[in-house]
Amino acid sequence: MQLITNIVVLASIYSLIACGYVLIYRVSRALNLAHGELMMLGAYLLLATASLFSGSAVLAIVAAVALSATTGVLVYVLLMRKMTGEMVLAAILTTVALGILVRGVLVLIWSSQQQYPAQALHVGNPTLAIGSAHVSAWSLVLVLLNAAVYGGLFIFLRYGRWGIRMRAAGQNALLAAQRGINLHRVYALAWALSTFTGAAAGMLIALDSGVTMSMPVIALKAFPAALVGGLDSLAGALLGGLIVASAEVLLIYYVDPLLSDVVPFVVLIAMLIVRPWGLFGTREELDRV
Amino acid sequence: MLKKMLLAGFAASAIALPAAAQDAYTIGLTGALTGPPASTYAPAVDALRIYIDKVNAAGGVNGHKINLILEDDGAQPSKAAANAKKLISQDNVMLLLVASLSSTYAPAIAESKNANVPLLFAAVCPQSVYPPAEPLQFCTTGFASHYDSQATLDFVKSTAKGPVKMGFSAMAIPLSRGEIDYAEELSKKVGMTPVDKEVIPPATADYTPFATKLKDADPNWVFSWAPWVTQVRTLEAMRKLGWQGDYIAWGHLEAESELKRLNDSKFYTINSNAMFQDGLPIQKQIEEAAKAAKSKYPADTMAEGWIAGMVIEAALKSAGWPGSPEKLQAAMENLNVDLKGLRGGPIVWTKDNHFRTHLYYRVYHWDGSKIARVQDWKAYEVK
Repeated sequence: MQLITNIVVLASIYSLIACGYVLIYRVSRALNLAHGELMMLGAYLLLATASLFSGSAVLAIVAAVALSATTGVLVYVLLMRKMTGEMVLAAILTTVALGILVRGVLVLIWSSQQQYPAQALHVGNPTLAIGSAHVSAWSLVLVLLNAAVYGGLFIFLRYGRWGIRMRAAGQNALLAAQRGINLHRVYALAWALSTFTGAAAGMLIALDSGVTMSMPVIALKAFPAALVGGLDSLAGALLGGLIVASAEVLLIYYVDPLLSDVVPFVVLIAMLIVRPWGLFGTREELDRV
Repeated sequence: MLKKMLLAGFAASAIALPAAAQDAYTIGLTGALTGPPASTYAPAVDALRIYIDKVNAAGGVNGHKINLILEDDGAQPSKAAANAKKLISQDNVMLLLVASLSSTYAPAIAESKNANVPLLFAAVCPQSVYPPAEPLQFCTTGFASHYDSQATLDFVKSTAKGPVKMGFSAMAIPLSRGEIDYAEELSKKVGMTPVDKEVIPPATADYTPFATKLKDADPNWVFSWAPWVTQVRTLEAMRKLGWQGDYIAWGHLEAESELKRLNDSKFYTINSNAMFQDGLPIQKQIEEAAKAAKSKYPADTMAEGWIAGMVIEAALKSAGWPGSPEKLQAAMENLNVDLKGLRGGPIVWTKDNHFRTHLYYRVYHWDGSKIARVQDWKAYEVK
C-alpha cells in the first residue's frame, strides 16, 4: 500500500511539472527549458509572499500563484514574443538563458540556503494515514491539485472559448490567425498556465520538504515523463508521469536506490526506440521536434 | 589633448592594477557558491571572505593585504577544473582552495600538482591529508572521513540500550558513499547489525520511496553522513512514515538552526565545531562581523569559513613576504593554530599530517526546549 502511495505522489509531481512542458510545446512548438527554474521561482515567490502575508497562509499562496502566472505572461511578452518568426532553436536557447538568469537572481536574493516556506507561513505538515500507508498533508494536496489541474485543463481545452483557440493555434497557427484569433494572447495564456502549473508543483514540494537550488533538476527528471507520453499530449504527460514514477519507486525498493537517477532516462530511451513520438503524441510532431 | 590624457590614464591604470595585485598575497577558491549543495558550502565561503576582509582592514598580513579570488563551480567537476586552471595559470595564486563537492576534487588536485601550488580543502577532508599526507594537500574542515563514523558508532554504542540494528543513508557522491560504506563495515566490527543502506541522488523530488525501504528494514538507529539536505530529508520522510527510532547525522553548518526547526529529541548531530549557543567570545566576534558585512548567511553557519581564514592568516604570516607557493607550503607543514574554542583543540599540521593530530567530537540534540549537549568533547588521535 505504501509503495502505491509513493508511486501516486511521485507520479503527481512529475505529471504536474510535465504538464507545463506540454502546454507550451503544444501551442507554440517551443520547448521551455527554463521550466524548472520557473518552478523554483514559484517556491521562492511563496517565500516572499509568506513574509508579506505571514498572518494568512491562504492569502500568501493565492498571491504567489497569481504572481507566478503573471511571471509566465511577462516571460512571453518581454522575451518569447521577440522570438516569433525566428528558428525554434533560437526560442529554446532563449529559455536556457532565461533559466540561468532566474537561477542567478534567486541566489542573489535568497542565497543558496535551504528555505522552508511552511515555517514562514506557520503551517504544519501532518502525516495522514490511508489504510496502512502514510502520506504528508502537502503531498496529498499535490495529488489532488494534479487531478484538478488535469480535469480543469480537459474541460478548458475542450469546451472553453480560449481553450479551443489554444488548440486551433497549436494545430495551425497561420489558419488560426487568419480566422481572427489573437496568437499573442493565446501564447501568453499558454505561458501563464504553464508557469502556474510548474510553480504550483514547486510551491507544494517546498511546503512539503523545503526549497533548495536543486529544484530545477527535479523538473529535468519530469521532462522524460512528458516525452514518454508524447510532447503534445496532456493525457500522455499524465500517463508518462505514472510510468516513470512507477519504474522509479519499484526499482528503488526492489533493486537499487541508485537507479532512481537514471530510471526516467532509461524509460525515455526505451520509448524513443519503440515509439519515438510517445504514447499519445502525434507522429508528425516528431518532425517538428 | 583629451585623447592624450585618456591614454595616459589607461596606461597608468594598466600599470597600477598589476602592481597592486603583486603587492598582495593572492589566493583563489573554487567553490559550490550555487548549485544543489551550495547551502553547505556557500556560508563557509562567505565567512572566509568576511574574515579576509577583516584581516585586510586591520592592515593585512606582514603589512600586505590578501587578495582572495572567488570562483563559483556550481559543484560541477568541469567548472571546478576550469576555475582551478584559471586561478593557477592566470591569477598566479599561491594557494588554491576548494569548497565544493568531493566530485570536484580530482581536477583541482591535478592542477595543484601540475603547478606545485598548495591546495587547501575548506569543505570536506579527503584521506590524502591524513598521515602520511600528500605534500601539497591540506585541510581545515571539521568533517573527517572514517573518524566521523568511528566517533558516531562509539556514541551510538554507548547510548543504545540494547542491540543496534543500524540503517545508513548517503548521498550519491563519492565521499558520502565511501564513508557510509566504511561505516557499514565498521558497524559489523563493533557488534551492530547493518540492516539497510540508501544511497540517494543529490536532487530528489520525494524522499519517501527511499525512506520506505529504510523503514521496512526495521532499524532502531540510522546514521547519515551526507550533505545536510539528504540527512534531514531522509529523517523527515522516515518520521512521516511513522518510524520512531534514533537518527544521528553529521552536524553541518545548518545544524544549529535546524535542530530547533525539527524539534525531534531522537535526532542527534555529531559535531566537530562548537555551536553558537555556547556564546564564546570568538563566536560573538563572528556574529558582529557577519552583521557588519550584511551577510545573507546566519553567523552560526560561519565557523568553518572562519577557521579556514584563521589558518590561512597564520600560514601566510609564517611564510613571510614576499610569499610564494613553496614558502607557503613549508609554513603550512609546521603550523599550530589556536581555534579559541571553535573546536575542541587546535589545528596542528606537521610534515606528514596535513589534517590535525587530534579530532574532537560533541553530540547535540533538541531536548524539547533548547539544544542540549549529549556528549562533550571526546578526543580521537589521528594516526
